[in-house]
Amino acid sequence: MPDQSQKNRPVAPSGPGGGGEGPSAPKVDKPNVDELLKRMRKVDPDQARRYRQRTGQ
Amino acid sequence: MISPTIQFGLETEIGISSDAEGEVDVVSESIALVRSATEPGVWMCWDYDCEDPHVDMRGFRVHELRQDTDEANYYAQDAARELSFVEIKSDLVLGNGARFYNDHAHPEYCTPECRTFDELVAHDRAGERILMACARHLSEQRGVAVRLYKNNTDFCGHSYGCHENYLLPRSLPWETLAQGIQAFLVTRQIFAGSGKFAIETEDKYVSPGFQISQRSDFFCELQSVDTMQRRPIVNTRDEPHANPKRFRRFHVILGDANMSPFATRLKVGSTALILEALVLDPKRTYPLLADPLGALTSISRDPKFRWEVALEGGHTATALAVQQSYLSAVRDTCDLSVPAKAALVADWESVLADLATDVMRCRNRLDWVAKMGLVHDFQRAQNLPDGDPWLQSLDLEYHRLDMSEGLYYGLEQSGAIRGVPDELVVRRAVTQPPTTRATVRGKCIQKFAACVTAAQWDHITLQGRDGPIKISLVDLFSPEEVLRCSRAIDAARSPDDLRILS
Repeated sequence: MPDQSQKNRPVAPSGPGGGGEGPSAPKVDKPNVDELLKRMRKVDPDQARRYRQRTGQ
Repeated sequence: MISPTIQFGLETEIGISSDAEGEVDVVSESIALVRSATEPGVWMCWDYDCEDPHVDMRGFRVHELRQDTDEANYYAQDAARELSFVEIKSDLVLGNGARFYNDHAHPEYCTPECRTFDELVAHDRAGERILMACARHLSEQRGVAVRLYKNNTDFCGHSYGCHENYLLPRSLPWETLAQGIQAFLVTRQIFAGSGKFAIETEDKYVSPGFQISQRSDFFCELQSVDTMQRRPIVNTRDEPHANPKRFRRFHVILGDANMSPFATRLKVGSTALILEALVLDPKRTYPLLADPLGALTSISRDPKFRWEVALEGGHTATALAVQQSYLSAVRDTCDLSVPAKAALVADWESVLADLATDVMRCRNRLDWVAKMGLVHDFQRAQNLPDGDPWLQSLDLEYHRLDMSEGLYYGLEQSGAIRGVPDELVVRRAVTQPPTTRATVRGKCIQKFAACVTAAQWDHITLQGRDGPIKISLVDLFSPEEVLRCSRAIDAARSPDDLRILS
């Protein structure tokens, strides 16, 4: 299996080093989800209606 | 003061469905799924004799749980299956120290006990890989796809849990723990929630609408020993699975199942650090919510994400401010010279700052923001109304464990998610235990599976030439002792060589 996690390391900078100087907000660009939106169109709109489970813990 | 021993693990109930025609028998599917496991392990040897979920941390034992009647009914229904209790449970204890079984009607994966946040995240993801291998195997056998969802609801009022377990010193008085952590648990959903496109109540769908937590609709008690009905914010079950004179197991049942490893790490890591702070400074005061149950749902359902809460004494605050109070306590009290703890605190602080500025800044780390952003993008593109049932179907699909189909995994693969562990580390956790007493359980199973006759969190029994060899794990928490036992198992040529550990 390809090492997805290495290829997909965050586009945003990592958080602060914990030195107490306060947080620096990552600049988060909107992800490119065009391909994912195409995949979402294939999701059956009624699948949640059919999805029935027993109560668990 | 020396930092206390705090170890942790997750137990996650998984939703299951199938592409087969007709109604799905979820119990049968769950049993079949567990039995499709191909990872080496020990089958149906879980020792139920020493379990008692009726014992309460407040010093008494309840006669019955609210779920006992339901369970009796389920067992009566399950009697028609012509399977014994043990066969229905189908417990499998794996070589990585995990437990995998059918809990009522859900496949449940319990990670082994972990000592570091990295271990916990890797083993949680390893469980996803093991479950998906089972689903592929079962789908191939049947020629019909079996689908798995790591979520907490069927959108019709039936919830199932992702429970957290924290081992901590018994010296921390129960009331100090229960009171001190309550406001933290109620407010941590602002980063630990997985998001839901529905409003529900027990056994009922109420209305469409987005909220930040999957589970917050299902709690109506402050404290109790129950877990299936009238669930409490603070669960009082007293089953330490360790020396009861030295340890407690704090059993947290109100959290959501997280897909994002960053969210899993932050949820468990921040909770573990709060527990450490409580142990180190039990006299410190924490915010007290005027109406914790009301706050749980009002925070989750607040469409403006202002998260205002009333405090005891008539003041108001926000969930963010409450979390800042707990963060300050951790900064003041815990030993943050440990790099993993310092990094966790930095991430916690950063998330709170980003949520305060613009919640969408967290869509690369937190499940609820990632899901909301993705589904809203789709909703806009397709011009769907807020009540469209497609939104719930997409919500469900976010939690699908199939890496090539699930929407969370689609986000991850597009590079949109931070904090994803190296897949090689996850793959290793599929077969190898973490650096806790789980090493003893895992290695015994790896090496002498055919001789294991009983397993529990706090002991494992093997059949030796001269009788049973029971290895107690009730006090095995120092890394040095774990290493000594691990070496003994490595050197053993037969179970009889392990008698020195019994």
